[in-house]
Amino acid sequence: MTGKDLLQFIVAGLSSGALYALLALGFTIVYASTGVINFAQGEFYMLGGMLGVLAFDSLGIPLVFAALLAILATTAVGVLFELLAIRPRKDGDPLALIIITVGGSILIQSLTRHAVGGEELATLPSFSPGPSIGIAGVTIVRQSLWIWGITAVAVVGLTLLYRRTRFGKAMRACSIDRDGARLVGIDTARVVTASFALAAALGAIAGVVISPTVPPVFYSGASIGLKGFAAAILGGLGNPVAAVAGGLTLGLLENIASGFISSTFKDGIALVVLLGVLFVRPQGLFGGRSREKV
Amino acid sequence: MRSSGYKRFVWWLVASVAVMCVPFLTDNGFMLKILAKDVGTNALVVLGLALLFGYGGQVSLGHAAFIGIGAYTSALVTMRFELPWLAGVAAAALVSAAGGALLALPSLRLRGHYLAMATLGFGEIMHIVFREATPLTGGFDGLRGIPSVAIGGFVFKSPESIYWLVWGIVLVALLLAYNVVALRPGRAMRALHGSELGSQACGVDTVRVKVQVFVVSAALAGIAGSLYAHVARFISPEIFTLHRSVILLSMAVLGGTSSLAGPIVAAVGLSILKYVDSFVPGMPDAASTFLQDWELDIYGLTIIVVMLFAPGGIGGAFRSLRQRFRKKAAPDPEGEGVSAA
Repeated sequence: MTGKDLLQFIVAGLSSGALYALLALGFTIVYASTGVINFAQGEFYMLGGMLGVLAFDSLGIPLVFAALLAILATTAVGVLFELLAIRPRKDGDPLALIIITVGGSILIQSLTRHAVGGEELATLPSFSPGPSIGIAGVTIVRQSLWIWGITAVAVVGLTLLYRRTRFGKAMRACSIDRDGARLVGIDTARVVTASFALAAALGAIAGVVISPTVPPVFYSGASIGLKGFAAAILGGLGNPVAAVAGGLTLGLLENIASGFISSTFKDGIALVVLLGVLFVRPQGLFGGRSREKV
Repeated sequence: MRSSGYKRFVWWLVASVAVMCVPFLTDNGFMLKILAKDVGTNALVVLGLALLFGYGGQVSLGHAAFIGIGAYTSALVTMRFELPWLAGVAAAALVSAAGGALLALPSLRLRGHYLAMATLGFGEIMHIVFREATPLTGGFDGLRGIPSVAIGGFVFKSPESIYWLVWGIVLVALLLAYNVVALRPGRAMRALHGSELGSQACGVDTVRVKVQVFVVSAALAGIAGSLYAHVARFISPEIFTLHRSVILLSMAVLGGTSSLAGPIVAAVGLSILKYVDSFVPGMPDAASTFLQDWELDIYGLTIIVVMLFAPGGIGGAFRSLRQRFRKKAAPDPEGEGVSAA
């Protein structure tokens, strides 16, 4: 493998890594407010892509608005899911909530198949059409720039929300100690709803921004959800920066390893990373030492 | 305590006789084979999941992988080494149990629900292995021509014999599980479910108990896999997917916690959905097609509705019914007899 090949793999790794990062952020946000892994996270990604293509192709809405509409509609699904399936379980028992998100995942997926059909949809047009960009012999697809740009905007926006706004403070307080947050007057139920909304929006963003390259289909959420989840675990389920670092690391690992070894097992790499991190360093590569709370 | 164990045994005996009599009521061989191959093997796996979920407080999203490990192991042992089926099923149980131990030991040392995540990853890895390790597993095409179940000189070929074999194993496993639950390990599990910290304080090695339960459930899945492989005589990676694991979980959830009969009833009820047209003869075509088409939606919705509104599941409904019969409203001793209205 030449140096140029390696660079090309790094570029590819950073593109898929950015997508994993968006999903990992979604996992991290919901985990922070509920202590639960949301197994339906991948379905938000799937919905984003599907709805984007449907709005553009079937409704004839211009690309930008189709993308925004897809993100908004998916966010609404996230809120609805929280209100209908998570909030009624008042005791917040993590095991029960995990099982509910598993059920929600299969339900959203199957309902989508009934509504849209089992076929792959068409792809969206590229956000800025034109030939790929060549730098130092490495080709970068234009859509990759969009992926990086939008991921960066999402991360910065999220960080600002967390650091600068009152609501962000409430969310952070919740993630540190839910009962404590409730005691000082924070509406924790609203924080949980908001976290599902944010997670759904982030998943949808990833789904929309990739749909010019990958045609959306109803079952696409499961595998990417698993990878975003592996990225979140790799990062340590701690803060947004760790989630992004985990996503990019996973994307790089996956692409470079599949370049060196074989692409047959490319999908397996994320899973091996997932199990490896869970077993060896459950607090993640970038997570601080997690104290066991009793 | 003794009298309740005795009563339970009588109930088990009555239910067993009823289950074993089914072949006398019908001469529909196709139906009997489905009841054994699909429904019975699911019931066996769900029994293990019920121990894990209802007594160990853990969920697995990877049990399809353990069924697959059992199925492929048993098929390879009988086809490559030409050993009898009993050797195949023993190997299937052992290899699945070993896999379960490997997975459970590191993830159950951690607090929280790492096992659910680890099993999800494990299941997907095994699915890739089944698909890609072509020299062993036959890849996408799977393995064909797996020999029928045979013990000694007797070959289980007729639908009736297959039915009795599979359900015989399910019922024996149920009886053993009742004993496990009633004795010391079961008390430890119940204590664990109540309060992990409290049970630790009473000297229960909580990690060991949880790992043991997981290994037992993996072994049961391995046995079910072997039975499936030798009855269907064909296996392929698409039988052992994440979907299958989620479906099995939905059966355990519907069955309810702290119950073993409930999950088996749930496994039978939900497994039949796919074949509902051959079980309910008068059913209009439109209705059965609808049920089959919306199968996954029904599983998903079942999971959510049970967890939200009837966390006791079918087992909880049994308990509250029993109470209503016994006396006027006495409080549920297990505290979770929410009736599934």
